[in-house]
Amino acid sequence: MDTLWSVRRPVSDLRPGDHACLAYAGEDEFQHVVGAYVRGGLRAREAVLYLTGDAAAAVPGVPPRAAHRLLTVIAADEGPRARLDPEAVRDALAAEVARADRHGVRAVRIIADLTWALRRPDGLEVLLACEEHLERITAPSTRVTAICPLDRRRCDAADLEALRARHAVRAAPDPEFEDPVLTIVRTFQPAGLSLSGELDASRHAVLDQALAILPAGRDIHLDMAGLGFIDLGAINLLADVAGRAGTGSVVLDRMAPEMRAVLDTVGWARLPGLRVGAPA
Amino acid sequence: MTLDHAACLYGGTDDFLTVAVPFLRAGLEREEVVVAVAEEPNLGALRDVLGPDGGTVAFIDSAGFYRHPIHTLRDYQAIAKESAPRRVCALAEPVWSGWTERQTLEWIRYESLINVVFADTDAQAMCMYDTGRLPEDILFAARRTHPGLVREGANNAYVDPEVFAAGCDRRLTFDRPGHAEYTAIESADLHRLRAFVAGRAERHGLGRQAARNLVTAVNEAAANALRHGAPPVGLWTWRDGDTLVCEVGDHGYWRAGPLTGFVPPASALHRGFGLWTVRLLVDLVELRSGWDGTFVRMHVHR
Repeated sequence: MDTLWSVRRPVSDLRPGDHACLAYAGEDEFQHVVGAYVRGGLRAREAVLYLTGDAAAAVPGVPPRAAHRLLTVIAADEGPRARLDPEAVRDALAAEVARADRHGVRAVRIIADLTWALRRPDGLEVLLACEEHLERITAPSTRVTAICPLDRRRCDAADLEALRARHAVRAAPDPEFEDPVLTIVRTFQPAGLSLSGELDASRHAVLDQALAILPAGRDIHLDMAGLGFIDLGAINLLADVAGRAGTGSVVLDRMAPEMRAVLDTVGWARLPGLRVGAPA
Repeated sequence: MTLDHAACLYGGTDDFLTVAVPFLRAGLEREEVVVAVAEEPNLGALRDVLGPDGGTVAFIDSAGFYRHPIHTLRDYQAIAKESAPRRVCALAEPVWSGWTERQTLEWIRYESLINVVFADTDAQAMCMYDTGRLPEDILFAARRTHPGLVREGANNAYVDPEVFAAGCDRRLTFDRPGHAEYTAIESADLHRLRAFVAGRAERHGLGRQAARNLVTAVNEAAANALRHGAPPVGLWTWRDGDTLVCEVGDHGYWRAGPLTGFVPPASALHRGFGLWTVRLLVDLVELRSGWDGTFVRMHVHR
């Protein structure tokens, strides 16, 4: 649930002082968003601190076991019986931020991947204490940014709500394409794309490219809620995509009534592989 | 498989029934999908006479069915597709009153198009023309658009649909008033063009849906002109009474056949989907190619 005061921001637009959460429900979403955050940091020559339970965990966005001068994995939990210790987390992060300072690294990105700790006794309390420290390190800083991925599969509704409430920013995927007329953002639940703006022949190629990155063999959901116009050529393109081998249906969710009426006029029998999904 | 498309020239409701009732009963006996599209009072009379025998007949009022020729062709095609593999037996009585001269020409053209759109079906269609009510030119056209005439046997007046459509096109005039507004179309990004057309549609008093349909149609014509035509490409708009006219022109010479965009494509993936949909979305589309370029004129009534 979005709270009134939380801001939604694509990962590449996160700024120092942002302490963001990413509530995700699948590995692809986690990899996509956190991977972009890690890569963006390393590309900008910022320090990336990856706080996790397992020192051997693969870091999203970089090749497995790749060592990088600027990338530090902090295993917050040594051994299955040890507790996550909020003070130890705080001290480890503070030490790494100070070290980055000494080396003249201009900014620090923290990824606090800690929802595994919810399974432990007093898990939520411990996690909230960690969030408290992260907030103190990040919020006043002009150089530190943090993302806390929240694995929905490991949280019950109350845990998720409590954790989200500690973050003023919600991280969102970077757009696959964005210009003043059209924005295309990947969606994960359901898998597909969210389209907003207007779509005509000048942007068919970017839509086709964005469709090509989606996992094969499944229905493709297109969230049309923000799309003010679609041209007939794009409808032809979508029917073509739906007809490709290994693709499920293209499901058009939340279409505005006027757009839906144009497709009704054409007749759905003429739009093989396209179907109406969630109502507007 | 061949289409059986015949016209029946009758006089008054009693005469209507003497032909229509045996026609429909024969369809029922052959276990075909039987459809009766007629005007009142003929439709009610048909129901009464057929009584319980008419239980499986789809009775449709012409007043709702004949509103836009391209839509009507689409709807008949849907009936044929849904009925397959059963044969369709259709009694049809188009509406000939309340149209302008220009609209009447499109309905005459429609009758001729039936021969093309349903050529590959084995449907049987009998179109009813009331000699007591209809003007001579409509009755004359019926002979030219129906291969069969129910009461007269051979019909020597029938004209091939492509030739007929070309004849319809020759009757068109393409005057453009001096006060028409011109907008150049130079970029493939048609955002500004759409905003312009939406503004003109609103000013003309079109409803939201009609405006959206027009914007979609103009966008398609413009995209085609940019892709296949030659520059300069532009849009003229003007108002003619209750009608808003948008005409996309380019400097290329596109030799469109007389049936272009009239025959429903099998799907969005088939050739002709764009122009056919443009014809669906507005009230009337006229195409012209000449020494001065290619023009797609779209009319929408308030």
